[in-house]
Amino acid sequence: MAIPQLQNTKPKVKMTKESPSLKGTLASVFLLGFFLMFTWISIYFLFLDRL
Amino acid sequence: MHIHKYEKIWLFFGIGSLFVFLTIIGVSAFAQGNQPPSCLTTIDPEKVDETPPFNKPGLVKTGDNEYQLNIVASAFAYTPNQIEIPKGAKVTINVTTKDVIHGFEMAGTNVNMMVEPGYVNSFTKTFNKTGQYTIVCNEYCGAGHHMMTAKVKVVNKQ
Repeated sequence: MAIPQLQNTKPKVKMTKESPSLKGTLASVFLLGFFLMFTWISIYFLFLDRL
Repeated sequence: MHIHKYEKIWLFFGIGSLFVFLTIIGVSAFAQGNQPPSCLTTIDPEKVDETPPFNKPGLVKTGDNEYQLNIVASAFAYTPNQIEIPKGAKVTINVTTKDVIHGFEMAGTNVNMMVEPGYVNSFTKTFNKTGQYTIVCNEYCGAGHHMMTAKVKVVNKQ
């Protein structure tokens, strides 16, 4: 009598993870960061100018 | 958990800026004593006309080159609406409203407050340049909102 089995016959494949390149993400995160810093700092100087 | 090197870099900057902001706010509030224009000074909005200093709104000299400017906002006017301030004066502006929420913006300056019934807003500014400023209501207060203005003239001392 056959023993019911669920895909146990296939040999297990080991997943090897390659770390993805995040260079573009790093660049876009820092572009956004510098844009935010630029706007905040210019608003602060606008505030100082109006004191 | 594996975190990519780049992710660590931007997480560091993100969390770092959070601490920078908290430090700036903390120093500003607790060491320098900065506070929002409306800071728990209350008034009965139905008795504004009888409550000093708003029973006699206008510019009051409080010290050497120091003044208090008391203004009552109501639909749709500021009382008084023509004000002369001597150049170089350090003016503490106190504003309250008798009816609904009004705005108080001195165009081109940092004086910008939301005037709520029941509260007194204060802002101190030194007027170092002669010229004319327009005070406008920047909170929609009703049909005459766009007509609600006042003029401030900074003049040379006689």
